[in-house]
Amino acid sequence: MIRTEELTKTYALGEVSVEALRGVSVEIEAGELVAVVGASGSGKSTLMHILGCLDRPTNGKYFLSGKDVSELSSDEQARIRNKQIGFVFQSFNLLPRTPAVENVELPLLYNAEQLTRSERRDRALAALDSVGLSERAAHHPSQLSGGQQQRVAIARALMNDPSLLLADEPTGNLDTKTSVDIMTTLHALNEKQGLTIIIITHERVIAEYASRIIELSDGLITEDRPIEATTAPLAGV
Amino acid sequence: MLDAHALETALQSLRRYPLRTALALVGMAIGVAAVLVTVAIGTGAQSAIRNQLRAAGLNIIQVKAGNYRTKGDGGGGVLAPHAFLLWLDGWLAPTAHAHPENDPMEKHDHPTAADRLGDSKAGLGGAATLTQADADAIETLPGVANVAPGVHENIRAYAGERRWFTRFHGTDVDLPLIRRAHGIAHGRFFSQRELRRAEQVAVLGSVVRDKLFGEGADPVGETLTLWNQAFRIVGVTESTNWMTPGTVGDKAFDAVYVPFTTIHRLLNVTNLNTITVTTESAGEVSNIAKAISKLLRVRHAIPDTAPEDFTVTTQASEVLAKGLHPNVARVLVGNLPNLDRTTLQELSMTLERAARTMKALLAAIAAVSLVVGGIGITNIMLLSVTERTREIGLRMSVGARARDVGAQFFAEALTLALTGGLLGIVLGVLVSWALESSLGWTMELSLGGIALGFAVAMVIGLLSGVFPARRASALDPIQALRYE
Repeated sequence: MIRTEELTKTYALGEVSVEALRGVSVEIEAGELVAVVGASGSGKSTLMHILGCLDRPTNGKYFLSGKDVSELSSDEQARIRNKQIGFVFQSFNLLPRTPAVENVELPLLYNAEQLTRSERRDRALAALDSVGLSERAAHHPSQLSGGQQQRVAIARALMNDPSLLLADEPTGNLDTKTSVDIMTTLHALNEKQGLTIIIITHERVIAEYASRIIELSDGLITEDRPIEATTAPLAGV
Repeated sequence: MLDAHALETALQSLRRYPLRTALALVGMAIGVAAVLVTVAIGTGAQSAIRNQLRAAGLNIIQVKAGNYRTKGDGGGGVLAPHAFLLWLDGWLAPTAHAHPENDPMEKHDHPTAADRLGDSKAGLGGAATLTQADADAIETLPGVANVAPGVHENIRAYAGERRWFTRFHGTDVDLPLIRRAHGIAHGRFFSQRELRRAEQVAVLGSVVRDKLFGEGADPVGETLTLWNQAFRIVGVTESTNWMTPGTVGDKAFDAVYVPFTTIHRLLNVTNLNTITVTTESAGEVSNIAKAISKLLRVRHAIPDTAPEDFTVTTQASEVLAKGLHPNVARVLVGNLPNLDRTTLQELSMTLERAARTMKALLAAIAAVSLVVGGIGITNIMLLSVTERTREIGLRMSVGARARDVGAQFFAEALTLALTGGLLGIVLGVLVSWALESSLGWTMELSLGGIALGFAVAMVIGLLSGVFPARRASALDPIQALRYE
């Protein structure tokens, strides 16, 4: 599903150049639920941006579904983000003053298929229903709780049936109970639909939901191990 | 660049910020309305001036048959009786004026022309030397707007028991176009068909109507008897200017108008007393008057040394003489033959120039307000790009290409400008209408002015959209997503 070869990323900050990634080679199979952990500045966000086709590596190769996507034009990258990747962000990133259902429709607007308005609406309502929010379709983000907002964001990420879901600190702004809800939802998506999910987090307990943990430190992978027990680790908290 | 989705997205976004959208629209609408209204005021003022000059008759040239000036008596002659003044005297003392001897009724209530004037040369002046062919030739001169042949008599008009001595004008259907001050109070002016068939139809001046049928009556359809002939009354003409109503003795409204062809038929003549010519602009009057003299000299085969058998007068000299004692007027006009050229024409040109300058000034002010409106839109869109950076990042993360984001912001600006422009046109029309009806200003809303306002709104929309759109589409998705 995902294969990277010696990914490096160097940012030039004035005179100084910062090496965010210094040769990351990793392979992730379809259907895996992977947690990427590491201290801040370890390069995990940079890795996610490259995996999410929001950024290009300075050097190295990135194969998504067997295709080298590290050299694509920004328009082609946009197309891959639209069709193959879903994003879930720490701060939800919903459009303000916009009903939940219109937020969920957003990826369809940039879909090459050019769906009609009612087709988009139907699919968005179905997606909201699948995250248990069909009754909140008309609510604006400010009228929803944090957990509900994040579920709207998940519904939006799933709109174009992506093969990869990237979640950047999805529970970072949520309380423990809501965090459990969100993680349970993501876990279920992985289990039942076989969706490949990569979660970036610095919370160990969240990482415990994954079947595999990759730890980054100073732009290098320092640990990559599978986890056996995938039963709700937070249940006892 | 713009597709249905970009427009839809733009509309959604504009709805999300109603106050901002409303402010941008108001700015644009006021700008466009200002352009419309000021152009309407300017154009209105210009045509008001032009109409006043026309109403004053400054663009009218009168060609009269005969010439009472004697040979060698140039423009500088102090006591030369100008043909116009003799004609004017005719109006001032109407009983002295005669209708021709070939009256079909052969019933003369006055001495013949020769007896009256006691001058054998009067035959030259009295001779109707102008013809319909002369009128047709004048019509082909450049700068000439209307040409109306005329035959003028004094007459006793009878309606039942009442009678009234008044002026009798045989004229053309174009007269209401020439005499701007003539309005139709009842009925209509006689038609081209009635003129062609020389029918016995008459249009009464308001004074004649008052005298024969009573103040303000509508005599249309009644019968008027002239020269013992029955004429059907088809209309009443009255002054359009309340400041100069028709009065007894004035030649415009104390008068009866009939087709000149009817007089030709009744008198069995083909000649004309006058040809009334209007020019397209008051500024050309002298040149066209000269051209008419030249044309008629050629047509009448008059050698350079001989005096003309016609007189060309401009209304300007008539205006000057108005209200003066005939002798004073005679001296004045006799001494200042070129007066119209030097003063009245310049006056008309100066007024037109002033109106044009005012129009340009107003348009410039309006243009400034439009530019301000446009900058307002640009400002709002730029602010929007900054404020909505995260939104842009998000849109990019779900698959929007740089050009999709650019198109959205461009479409937002264009939508604001065009909607604002349309609102502005509506507002401008309403304001113009309100100013016209409440203050009585002359407003002239032209399609051109509306098109101009809208075109400027378009251009401003395009310009004010391009810059923010470029800025939005140039954003890096990661930077945009992280923007706080």
